[in-house]
Amino acid sequence: MQALQRSLPGARAGARPVRPARRMVACTATARPIPRATNEQKLDLLKRVECFIFDCDGVIWLGDKVIDGVPETLDMLRGMGKKVFFVTNNSTKSRAGYMSKFQSLGLDVKAEEIYSSSYAAAAYLESINFNKKVYVIGETGILEELDLKGIRHLGGPGDADKRVTLKSGEYMEHDHDVGAVVVGFDRYINYYKIQYATLCIRENPGCLFIATNRDAVTHLTDAQEWAGNGSMVGAIVGSTKREPTVVGKPSDFMLKNISASLGLRPDQICMVGDRLDTDIMFGKNGGLTTSLVLSGVTTEEVLNSPDNKVIPDYVLAKLPDLLTVKEMAMVAA
Amino acid sequence: MQKKVFFVTNNATKSRAANAAKLTALGITATAADVYTSSFAAAAYLKTTSFSKKAYVVGEQGLVDELTAAGIACVGGPEHAGKEVDWSNPEPHMEVDPEVGAVVVGLDRNINYFKLQYATTCLINGSSCMFIACNTDSRGHFSSSQEWAGAGTMVAAIIGSSEREPMLLGKPASFILDHLCATHQIPREKCIVIGDRLDTDILWGNQNNAGTCCVLTGVTSEAQLLSPDNKVQPKLYMDSLAEFLTVKPLLPASCVIM
Repeated sequence: MQALQRSLPGARAGARPVRPARRMVACTATARPIPRATNEQKLDLLKRVECFIFDCDGVIWLGDKVIDGVPETLDMLRGMGKKVFFVTNNSTKSRAGYMSKFQSLGLDVKAEEIYSSSYAAAAYLESINFNKKVYVIGETGILEELDLKGIRHLGGPGDADKRVTLKSGEYMEHDHDVGAVVVGFDRYINYYKIQYATLCIRENPGCLFIATNRDAVTHLTDAQEWAGNGSMVGAIVGSTKREPTVVGKPSDFMLKNISASLGLRPDQICMVGDRLDTDIMFGKNGGLTTSLVLSGVTTEEVLNSPDNKVIPDYVLAKLPDLLTVKEMAMVAA
Repeated sequence: MQKKVFFVTNNATKSRAANAAKLTALGITATAADVYTSSFAAAAYLKTTSFSKKAYVVGEQGLVDELTAAGIACVGGPEHAGKEVDWSNPEPHMEVDPEVGAVVVGLDRNINYFKLQYATTCLINGSSCMFIACNTDSRGHFSSSQEWAGAGTMVAAIIGSSEREPMLLGKPASFILDHLCATHQIPREKCIVIGDRLDTDILWGNQNNAGTCCVLTGVTSEAQLLSPDNKVQPKLYMDSLAEFLTVKPLLPASCVIM
C-alpha cells in the first residue's frame, strides 16, 4: 500500500516562494509586532466603512464549517446599515448556486451579496456592451451567469466528452461569431476545448480572452491542494501566446464594479481577508481599507516577519472580534 | 558527399523508431539512430543525471517508449487518458506514487484534470521532483489542413498550477545539439540546421553556434522572414531543401555522390 501524500492548507505557505504581487505598494517602516485592533480602532472601522467585502475561506468559514460568531457579526453589520459582499474566485457555481451553500451553513445571504468570479465574467462582458457569442471553458456557474445577462454561449460542460482523433486531414470547424473565450476552473478540461478556444482566439478578429481567475491551486478539500484555474488559463496562454483579462481577484474589475454600483469612495469599503498577498494586496491596490483576520492561512508570525511588506489597516484574530464593540457601535450609529 | 544527416523533431508523440519508419515509407533512408525527438532528449537527459526513480508522464505513447527504452519506469502516460477524480465522493482524494522523481511533459492530446492534478501534486509535494518539458511549441501541424494546440499548452498548464518552471530539452534548448555533436564527434561550427520555424529551428541553431537555413516550405513565409518585426535571422534561406540540388552540377569532380 503506497504511502499517502498529504499536505494541509497553509502548511506550504512558507515552504515555497509565493508568486510576487504584480504591483508593490510603497510602505513606510511599521513598528512590529503589528497590534491587533483595539476597541477604539474597531469603532473607528465601523464608523468609517459603509461596505465590507469578505473573502470566504478562512474568514466566514473554514472548509465546511462556519466560524463561530460570524452569523451574529453579519447581523450586527446589517443592523448598522452596512452593505456586505462575499467574494469567491471559484467560478464553478453561479451566485444563486453559492447561495445554497451559504444557506446550508446557516448564513442568511442574498444572491446579490455574493460576488463570484463566474458573475464577474458576465458583469465584465455586460460592462463593455458585448453582443457576440462566448466560448466557455468552465462549469455551469459561468453558463448560468451568462444566461442571466442574456449572453449567448457555446462549450462548457457540453464539450466535456468531445474527443479529437487527428485522423489524416482532420479539420476542426469553429463558430466565427465567437467574440470572447471565457476560461474558468474546469474539472473536465480536454484537448478539444483547448483547441476550440485556441482557434477562436487566433482566428476570430478581436476575440477577447477572459479568465475568471488565475489561482494556481484551489482548496476543494482540507487534505490536499488541487490544481486551480491557473492551470486551465495557462493552457490557453501556452497555445495562443496571449495574456487574458482577469476579472476575479486580484484584478480590480470586481472592486470597481462594486464601488460603482454603491456610489462609495474606495476607503469607505473594507476588504476583509486572510491572505496578505491576495486579499490585502488586492484591497490596497484598489485604495480600500483593509482588515486581516488570523482565522485562516496567515499567522501572526508571518504578518510580523521582516519579509512581509504588506501591512493591513486593521488586524483581527477573527471577524466576530468586532462583536466586542457591538453595544458602543449601536449607540453611536 | 559523405555528409552526416540527422532528423530532429520536437514532436514527442512518436518514438525515434516510429519516425524512422515514417521517413522510410516516404522514400527517405533513415534509421532510429539518425532521428532525434524531444522525447528521446528528455530520456537521454534523465540518464545523464543517473535518474533512478519513476517518471510521471503527461504525454503519449512515444514519450513512454523513449523513457522505457532508457530504462526509466513510467507512471501515467496513455494509461491515465480516461482517468477521472471521483467527484461524487464528498471528500475527493488523489494519491500519487511516492517514487515519482520527475514529471515529464510532452504533447498530450488526452490531457485531462486527473493528469494535471497528479503532475501538480508530485511537483508541489517534493521540490526535488524534477519538471522536464520535452518542448514548448504553442502549436503544430498535426493534420495537414490546420494547426493544433501544441505541447506548450500542457507545459504551461502545469506551470500555472505548480508555479514551477520546467527544464526544456527540445528545440531551442541546446541539449540535442550538444548530444548529437558529442556522440558523433562533429564540431559545432560544421553543423547547419535546416528548418521552417524561426522560433524553434532557426533560433536553436543561432543560439548554439550552428549554421542556419530557413526553408519556406513550412510555416514561415518570405514576408514573415523579411518583416522588420522578425528578429530571428538565419544565415541562409531558400524556397525548399531541394534547392541544394541546383549546385550539384557545380560540385568538383573529386566530390563523390553515393
